[in-house]
Amino acid sequence: MRSLLILLPLAGLILLNLPGGLLAGLALPAVAALAIFEIVLAVYLPTAAFPALEQVQQLLHLSTPLDSLARVLLLSIGIVMLASLLVLHATVKAQRRRFNVANVLLISLMGMNGVVLVHDLFSLYVFLEVTSVASFVLIASSGEDTGLEGAFKYLVLSAVATVLMLSGVAMMFLFAGSTDFSAVAAALQNNSGQLLLKIAIGTFGCGLLIKGGLVPFHGWLPDAYQSAPAAISVLLAGVVTKVSGIYALFRLGISVVGLQTFSPVLLAVGALSMVVGALLALRQNSLKRLLAYSSVSQVGYIVLGLGCAGMGGPAGKLGLAAAIFHLFNHTIFKTLLFVNSAALEQRTGTSDMSVMGGLGSRMPITSTSSAIAALSIAGIPPLSGFWSKLLLIIALWQAGLYAYASLAVFVSVLTLAYMLTVQRRVFFGKCREDLLSAREASGGIVLVEAALALVIIGVGVLMPYVMNSFLLPLKGGF
Amino acid sequence: MNALDVVLVAALVVSATMTVMTARLLRAVIGLAITSAILTMIMFRLAAPIAGVFELSVCAGLIPAIFISAIGLTRRLAAEELPARQQERLRRFWPLPVLLVLAIIVLTQWPLPIGLPDSQGPEPVTDLSTLLWNARPADLLAQVALLLGGAFAVVMLVKNVGREHE
Amino acid sequence: MSAIMMWAPILIPLAGGLLVLPMRGKSGLREIVALLATLANLVVAIANFNSVGTWTGQWVGHGLDIVLLNYQFSAFILAAAASFALLVCLFCFRFMREKTSANQFFAYMLISLAMVDGAVLADHLVTLLFFWEGLLITLMGMIAIGRPGAFKTAVKAFVIVGISDLCLMFGMAMAGLASGTLVMSKMHLPVTDAFNALAFVLMMIGAIAKAGSMPFHSWIPDAAVDAPLPFMAILPASLEKLAGIYLLSRISLDLFQLTPESWLSPLLMIIGAVTILLAVMMALIQKDYKKLLSYHAISQVGYMVLGIGTALPVGIIGGIFHMINHAMYKSCLFLTGGAVEKQAGTTDLAKLGGLARKMPITFACFFVAACSISGVPPFNGFFSKELLYDAALDRHFIFYIAALGGSFLTAASFLKLGHAAYFGKRSSEHDNVREAPITMLLPMLVIAAACIFFGVHNSWPLRNLIQPVLGARLEGHDFAGWPHSMRLVWLTVAVLAGAIMNHIAGATVYGSGINAVDHIHYAPLLKPIYEQAERRAFDPYEIMLDVAAFIARGAWSVDRAIDWVYNRLAVGAAMLGSTFLKLLHTGDYALYVAWALAGAAIVVWYMVS
Repeated sequence: MRSLLILLPLAGLILLNLPGGLLAGLALPAVAALAIFEIVLAVYLPTAAFPALEQVQQLLHLSTPLDSLARVLLLSIGIVMLASLLVLHATVKAQRRRFNVANVLLISLMGMNGVVLVHDLFSLYVFLEVTSVASFVLIASSGEDTGLEGAFKYLVLSAVATVLMLSGVAMMFLFAGSTDFSAVAAALQNNSGQLLLKIAIGTFGCGLLIKGGLVPFHGWLPDAYQSAPAAISVLLAGVVTKVSGIYALFRLGISVVGLQTFSPVLLAVGALSMVVGALLALRQNSLKRLLAYSSVSQVGYIVLGLGCAGMGGPAGKLGLAAAIFHLFNHTIFKTLLFVNSAALEQRTGTSDMSVMGGLGSRMPITSTSSAIAALSIAGIPPLSGFWSKLLLIIALWQAGLYAYASLAVFVSVLTLAYMLTVQRRVFFGKCREDLLSAREASGGIVLVEAALALVIIGVGVLMPYVMNSFLLPLKGGF
Repeated sequence: MNALDVVLVAALVVSATMTVMTARLLRAVIGLAITSAILTMIMFRLAAPIAGVFELSVCAGLIPAIFISAIGLTRRLAAEELPARQQERLRRFWPLPVLLVLAIIVLTQWPLPIGLPDSQGPEPVTDLSTLLWNARPADLLAQVALLLGGAFAVVMLVKNVGREHE
Repeated sequence: MSAIMMWAPILIPLAGGLLVLPMRGKSGLREIVALLATLANLVVAIANFNSVGTWTGQWVGHGLDIVLLNYQFSAFILAAAASFALLVCLFCFRFMREKTSANQFFAYMLISLAMVDGAVLADHLVTLLFFWEGLLITLMGMIAIGRPGAFKTAVKAFVIVGISDLCLMFGMAMAGLASGTLVMSKMHLPVTDAFNALAFVLMMIGAIAKAGSMPFHSWIPDAAVDAPLPFMAILPASLEKLAGIYLLSRISLDLFQLTPESWLSPLLMIIGAVTILLAVMMALIQKDYKKLLSYHAISQVGYMVLGIGTALPVGIIGGIFHMINHAMYKSCLFLTGGAVEKQAGTTDLAKLGGLARKMPITFACFFVAACSISGVPPFNGFFSKELLYDAALDRHFIFYIAALGGSFLTAASFLKLGHAAYFGKRSSEHDNVREAPITMLLPMLVIAAACIFFGVHNSWPLRNLIQPVLGARLEGHDFAGWPHSMRLVWLTVAVLAGAIMNHIAGATVYGSGINAVDHIHYAPLLKPIYEQAERRAFDPYEIMLDVAAFIARGAWSVDRAIDWVYNRLAVGAAMLGSTFLKLLHTGDYALYVAWALAGAAIVVWYMVS
């Protein structure tokens, strides 16, 4: 079945663009249907499949079973894609542009699915490229100068990442004779002392760090998030950078090189991102830019957890589970926050916080859901973010990484500080006179906000169930 | 590694540096084409003929052609602005040749202790269709998506620009 | 014992509470729902009474489970809580009719009941903590819906109880660490070493703070004025006493093995004795019906803590007996206060008077309950107090003196209260005051009758409810029947007679019931102390606020100093830093590429080295 995740977007793309534009009106429903299909597939993972699909799957070299990590990512992709579509529907009214964006969203969807599914370093690189190219186009799709600038910076940094990753792949290929994960892993085992392979791991990993936007590889990220149209920031922040940077890093560490080889690097980069991102977020005027830096900081947490996983032992397993859990949680609450910012942009026409204020009474659902997301991101119990951060800090502590654990706690305080600043500047206080006419955002956006806020509360409150049913099996899976 | 290789690598470095440092877009495109051509030669010498053919046809042929047609649509830089632009470019990128020279000196004087595997990699595949269809079908699909992505980029961005001008 | 019956005492009131919460308006439906929920709860409590059962549920894993245990002691507390809830609910049927926030009151009351039931059933420290904290939230909610301005009191209660709950939590963690389990019935920690003793003290703070002992008492008199009156009858007078003393007994008997030799026993006894005396001294001078009662609600806790603190079977039995007796007569007293407030419109003693004629049944109930609390034979309070006197005298006569002195002052203050409210000159404002409606009288009558029954026929509660709690530790004693030491009984009677004479003397000298104890109030040494106390100089919460304000002032000056250093000295560095930051994030992509490459170089260098 899972080969459909790559084939269907491509087929949809071709069908939608049939001459005559017969099916052009179905663009948004088609993408939505694919996203829902993906969610269903990730949750239920049907075993019974059609023989023909099995053959296609073998042909595409996708037969390796999905692990829980891949399923979490597929679920995230589906959810965020759906959210992004609803925001797109609410914010973009021009039929032509909607249609074009939906097409590129299909390419992005295919690219991300490919990244999650493939088991080959070179294919991984190619699908990363597909995802990135789709992102460039999407960021620039507003046609405004800022959008072009953001897309260009992403493009340039991505080119650097490409060079790094391709050199890495080439060097590994030299030893393995193949780029398949298992072959490369075996070659790495047999040639453990080789300098060239160490360089290869380093360069490939750095390429992924650029894609994931970690400090000091983060230069493109704030501009790209800020300048992208609302629906696209949701997609980028929610899932694109996570799939193309963080998931690939997970995959590289778990399936290919072994996390222990570069766990100190991950710890250092993760901690640096966490601190720098949070400090930069403290003093931003643009809500979207603040959220972008917050993403840098939160992704730092995830990478820190991944680094902890490389320390091995029970603490490592817990760290891995915490990192994956935080990855999912961050997907949900960052998507929600960007949807909030889309709602604000829809009603105030800007994301500049200095001209907002007192919108809480005007936009109750937006402000409530934003508060829930903010508390969750800051790690306030019993919301979902609290549990993943708690697990992460426990794991770090158990692994003996006391300094990193304390740093994680310290950054939580910073996180709370800047998220509360957002709440205060945007929602609290007396409503500004020029905003008195603002009302709640349109139906689709409100629906997304309410649904995601419920997910945050649900995952937090049902944590014991989540823990026993998903997280504990997860860490046993590797 | 013989003298020809050294000459080719040196030429590659010089032409790539020139491509980056020039202020004129046309010269940069020509530099790109020359660089790609030299790269093709290196690829042939490294027994990668298929890669070489692609490099020559796409990177040395197709891409410069598209670039030149795009440059044809732009406004030419006035002659008096050029020296200033060139100087600004030099000021910005002067570390590049310096770093390159330094790197060459360091790497030739203190070579990294790199060990290469005994086998010379896999058998070179000569049949392109076998390679693409049997070994890498997923990549092929991704390539299609990439091309479509490029097409949509042109459609969306160029159309937008057109509307602005109306 | 099925899981349904196990959970029913928690889920029935909880469901009722959630059902009532959205019912605004004055339909009367919410009263019926609340009544039905409490009734069902009582039925379940009685049905569960003789069964023993345990229920374990997986929660987080790693030893963090939900464990419930229904056994003799908890079943007794559950039944008592259920009875009080039903009676107070019945009382509220008319009392809360006109209040706009009645839906919130009923909801919080039912949820509180669920939380108390849960806490009493819990056999796992984390489960216990969950319900304990839940009670804290409904407590705050119930106070906050009182008269305008009650929110400040609610915050005060929240802070005080919250801090003590924090102590409880730490104590639990330490106890869990020391015993290796969090299941309460599996813990039997000796209190000989310092770690366990500290754990005991911390958990004890949580328990006695819930019961309202000193020094965690100061929110209760404030709440008496601010909160709706039935709140006092249900939470501080009955449910919280039941929960707090239940927990104190559990930690003294099960979780830790408190022995008379341990230094913790005198500690508890001192807390008890001090609470008895200081709170009753404050009660004595109050001139408000509710406030006077609220200080007694604190003072009486002292007896229970003292009794359990003796660590002697007679003391523990006396303490638990006093707990149930106190819950009865104190809720009855608060209900009479509520009836007076409803019918006469005030609880200010100076404006009341001569109500005995107008409200004879209320007065009769008041009389029974007042006799009980003063320890007049043969009411229930007399028998529990005699047991406590016995235990106190066994440990040290000073505790006996304190307890007896407390009784003297208790009797004196109730003589004053009864005189001022029900006799004396009749205020003309109250000419058309009538007896309270039947739904308000019925709960009082039932409780008053129970007070007499528990006194006259004390062998029933003692043999069936209380003595089984101790089990084998009872060593064959039977404390039912008339107190065995006639000498102590004569002393008690003498003290009561002294209190009556004191009152008559005072009332004659000062000419009115309300001023009958002025000679104590304005005694040379006591007068300045009382003045300070009335100004809340001894309120730990106020002291804490003062200290906090002091620290804040100190911190502020330190902050100013740092600020000065920052402004004067670090300004250059800050300017430099911000310029540097600006330089860093120029938006120039070439710079970002350079960072990325430099980062990659460092990573690769690390990988190869």
